[in-house]
Amino acid sequence: MSKSQWLQSSALALALGLTAASASAETLRVYFNAGHAYDTYLEAIAQFEADNPGWEVQFEKFQWPDLRTKLVADFAADNAPDLVATAGGWVPEFAFQDLLLPLDDLAARDQAEFDFPGDWFDPAIAKNTVNGKIYGLQIHLTCATLVYNKDMLAEAGYDAPPTTWDEFREVAIATTKPGVFGFAPNSSFFYYWPWVFQNGGEYFDTETGEVGFGSEETIGAMQFLADLIHKDRAAPVPVAGADYEGPQKLFTSERAAMILTGPWDINPIRTGNPDLNWAVAPSLSNATQATVQGGVALAIPKGAQHADMAWDLAKRLTDVEVEVATSLQYSMTMPRKSWLADERVQADPLLGQFGSCLPYSKDVQLPLTLTGKYDPAVDAVMRQAVEEVLYSNEPAAEVLPVAAEEANKIIAAK
Amino acid sequence: MTYRQRRALTAYAFLLPAIVYFIVFFFWPIAIELWASFRSGQPLIGKSEFAGMKNYLYIFQDKLAIKAISATMIYALGSTVFTLLLALGLASILAGPLKARNTIRAILFFPYIVSFVISALMWKSILDPYTGLLNAALLKVGLPPQYWLTDPDAAIWVLVAVSVWKDIGYAVLIYIAAIQGIPSHLYQAAELDGARRHHLFRDITLPLLMPTTLFLAVVIMIASMQEMALPYLMTGGGPANATRLYSLHVYETAFQGLNIGYASALSFVMFLLILLITWVQFKLLNRDIRHV
Repeated sequence: MSKSQWLQSSALALALGLTAASASAETLRVYFNAGHAYDTYLEAIAQFEADNPGWEVQFEKFQWPDLRTKLVADFAADNAPDLVATAGGWVPEFAFQDLLLPLDDLAARDQAEFDFPGDWFDPAIAKNTVNGKIYGLQIHLTCATLVYNKDMLAEAGYDAPPTTWDEFREVAIATTKPGVFGFAPNSSFFYYWPWVFQNGGEYFDTETGEVGFGSEETIGAMQFLADLIHKDRAAPVPVAGADYEGPQKLFTSERAAMILTGPWDINPIRTGNPDLNWAVAPSLSNATQATVQGGVALAIPKGAQHADMAWDLAKRLTDVEVEVATSLQYSMTMPRKSWLADERVQADPLLGQFGSCLPYSKDVQLPLTLTGKYDPAVDAVMRQAVEEVLYSNEPAAEVLPVAAEEANKIIAAK
Repeated sequence: MTYRQRRALTAYAFLLPAIVYFIVFFFWPIAIELWASFRSGQPLIGKSEFAGMKNYLYIFQDKLAIKAISATMIYALGSTVFTLLLALGLASILAGPLKARNTIRAILFFPYIVSFVISALMWKSILDPYTGLLNAALLKVGLPPQYWLTDPDAAIWVLVAVSVWKDIGYAVLIYIAAIQGIPSHLYQAAELDGARRHHLFRDITLPLLMPTTLFLAVVIMIASMQEMALPYLMTGGGPANATRLYSLHVYETAFQGLNIGYASALSFVMFLLILLITWVQFKLLNRDIRHV
């Protein structure tokens, strides 16, 4: 065989090989949050590939803002992935744009083997339902509550965590000393709302069609926080930023006695300071006991090339055994009733406390998102007002009503 | 076909890949964005309808956009002016016969080659009011801690300072090259005429550096007007939207708010604003100065 014949034969063989390979290999594209790429999920994916020879899962991980940017760009380019993890509020937003596949038919088809939506907590279904159709399969359901340093409270003379605002303020002042704050508030917008909800306020009133930001309850909540910072000097001014780890770091380094956080901070605290004597408390009460709810849902874009396979993988990722293993290993709380009923979950004190907050937790923006008029500019306006109150000590009663008016204008213009 | 036509055709054939590249990756997206800026609803990702100038007119009612323009102007002007002034001063010193000049140049240039993400996170950590190195150092010497990133009035200037720290090495290098390009006989002649050191700088160095200053002013100003990484990573646009720069506002409007039409209009306004500022800079700084 001459050199040129040999080259031609090799090229032909290579081309045939590539064609054969591309014909047999199918790829399932999955977008996931980078912080949630747990081993338990990777094992479920490996099992999916083993059970479906010829299929490969392209598991792409992003931080939430990047994931959203990529997803929106993909929608524009008609190149959506097969399965995508979505943060709070995304499912109704995208469903209103007719960009997601309703899951009702797939769920009905597999009802015998996979009890969806029956085994999911009601809030986990409500936040994924638009016009009577379910567009998201909740994979995590979380809430933020009070976390406290037991030793610091004991040193100040308290053997139990506070349960009301008055008690909380008293404990925060008593545990404050040079270099240590009684409470470290978080700068993330999400973390201001437990106070508003506990004071009887709302993000959005569906009856009036307006935000509840200018209400007496919201004003009272923000002024309470501002006074804790500026009058009582029991809390630091929160540090503005894109992340929300500041208070956790202060708490872990024993420079804050109390913080508000969710199960996502269990592992950072445990690994950051294994000797820390800390516990999780039920959420505080003022007018009522309440807190904020978060979580992640899986959704299948309407343009997904392999919706059936995406649904198969989604079922595996939300399997009760996978949920229990994930929560025990990574301290994440889950949306399934059978998960909470599991003995192993009940036996974990931290998971149990976070899980006990779920019944009275609320999704902040959901009432507005479900109208299809949610706009992050509303949050930006409100956040600015809250920060003027907390950072610059402006009176909440003057700043918040003006911001509420501006937010209502943005909603009206949608 | 004549020889001239064949030559022209060959030239265009060589240019074709670049022309195709620019059409596909620059002009086509710009055209799409212009189209989207006149649409309401969900242009590009869903249903949309023609909205005329509605998106452009809404900018005047959008308090966040107006605040973002104001913050961006402070940031861009501050970054440009301080970078140029400091770079000019440092370049004047480093262009001379200084012993450690190469080491100092390398130190100054180093921030420029560090990734913006790393720079931003490093400064965020240093400036943290409770756990940062800077406040720890202040406390060590008996000074009160400063709330660098939590004070709405100070935060934007902190971003300016980080931006100057990042860009100054580049500006210094360009200035040094320009200073070294000025013929020495001009200085010698002036010295013979009795000119003093500050006269030499004011009447020879400064005027002959005008083209370099114009170049740097335009480049730094445009980059600063488009800045997003720094506020996104260091402050998230806060506190109280004090560092919500225009690009961050456009990004959030498009990708968080899914308001693509309005975000496209915002982008075009920014394009026109940059064009206007660049034109003003050319008018103010462009001097046809030659030396023989």
